Amino acid sequence: MTGVLDRPTAPPRPSPRTRATRVEFVANDVVPLRGATSEPDDAEVGRRFVAGDEAALALAYQRWSGQVHGMAVRAFGPGPDAEDVTQQVFLSAWTGRAGYRPEAGPLPAWLVGVCRHKIADTWAKRDRQRRLTEAAAAEAGSRPAPSARPLDTAVADRVLLLDELDRIDQPQRGIIELAFFEDLTHAQIAVRTGLPLGTVKSHIRRTLERLRSRLEVDGAAALHA
Amino acid sequence: MPQHCTPEDLSLAALGEPLSPDDAAHLSGCTACTAEVAGLRRSVEALAIPEFAAPGAPVAPPAHVWAAIAAATGIEAASEAPSAAPAAAPEPAAPLAEVRQLRPRRSRLLLAAAAAGVVGIGIGAAAVALGDRDDDGSTVALASAELDPLGGNDASGQAEVVERPDGSRVLRLELDADAPDEGYLEVWLIDSDVVGMVPVGVVSAGTEELVLPPDIDVGQFPIVDVSVEPLDGDPTHSGVSIARGQLA
Ligand SMILES: [Zn+2]
Repeated sequence: MTGVLDRPTAPPRPSPRTRATRVEFVANDVVPLRGATSEPDDAEVGRRFVAGDEAALALAYQRWSGQVHGMAVRAFGPGPDAEDVTQQVFLSAWTGRAGYRPEAGPLPAWLVGVCRHKIADTWAKRDRQRRLTEAAAAEAGSRPAPSARPLDTAVADRVLLLDELDRIDQPQRGIIELAFFEDLTHAQIAVRTGLPLGTVKSHIRRTLERLRSRLEVDGAAALHA
Repeated sequence: MPQHCTPEDLSLAALGEPLSPDDAAHLSGCTACTAEVAGLRRSVEALAIPEFAAPGAPVAPPAHVWAAIAAATGIEAASEAPSAAPAAAPEPAAPLAEVRQLRPRRSRLLLAAAAAGVVGIGIGAAAVALGDRDDDGSTVALASAELDPLGGNDASGQAEVVERPDGSRVLRLELDADAPDEGYLEVWLIDSDVVGMVPVGVVSAGTEELVLPPDIDVGQFPIVDVSVEPLDGDPTHSGVSIARGQLA
């Protein structure tokens, strides 16, 4: 049996990604050159950023704070929460810049990954505060703990799983990110990456198993932390 | 009881992809396979959420965000900061930059695409003027591509977009490839993002001429891709590409 024969015989579906959706993003290496000035290109900004050049932080903020803040606003709406997330993303990217590896991807991709962490952390913090408030109310005897709601497991899972994603090497990580965050099918991922379909499928399988094990090992412990 | 679904197919089911009718029927009646999908789904449900999706429309943060970052890092806020918003402004006009990148092939492919994208391949007078007229003066070559093997295949070839005297355009293909064991070969024009794609026709090895859709801008779809398509009635790309090249 070849990979081709394994394919599910799905009924004809409308072309899943048409031009209507493709305008959402363009690979950043396709964006036309920025004028004829001597502005450093994105890769150069990334290199200077990791080297600790303060001007590179300003440039990174100029170029990518809009994307980062757009994500934060999508999660929390405009206002202090979103602004706090955006601020934290750049601050923690700057102080943690040694953790950015240019060969693993462009700087804006890394910033977007940091932004996912900050969003998940903010949700977890809110959840913790909610439980503290409820526990305090129960203790004061004002009312019974309203179901003594357990930690929202999805909130805890996200923090854990984003951490695990960071540990996954390419190309597995890029593949699962295309599935999770760009909603591509495995066939679309194969076309996009140029990797064989069977390779994409087996990487997806192994990554989902790995994420499941992480939840099994640490997920329960987190519940009682 | 028919065979269990493969672990790979159960993973795709966990991601929400449709299974073959046989697999779907099996899954609905098998507690073991259903439990497996449920176990794998937990991470999908946690992470595949709109809040984590690739960035959408950019939103410029208010100025005090940069001021706070500059203060916390001790960077000179004054001169750099104000340019933040204005400098970000021109970009939203262009589609937002994609921020993820896959290592091996894609960047190479897209770097080539970038070159073509900047130059553009018009359909009008400019393109004709740039084109190479055939010896007999009847057709004009607008762009051409070397097709390189993909995915461990040894298929290769050349593709050429040619304008005929009546103004129609054809894709001339010289393909060196083995006939697939199952299914057929199909040619696609794909955009630089490798997302949008237009099927151009079914081919076999050798020399073929495929008439292009009249309105297609090959500058927008500069990647020529040859795929193996199974006879499953699914009109979308199978994901199995055997050769690819960049029109320039
Ligand atoms: Zn089963």
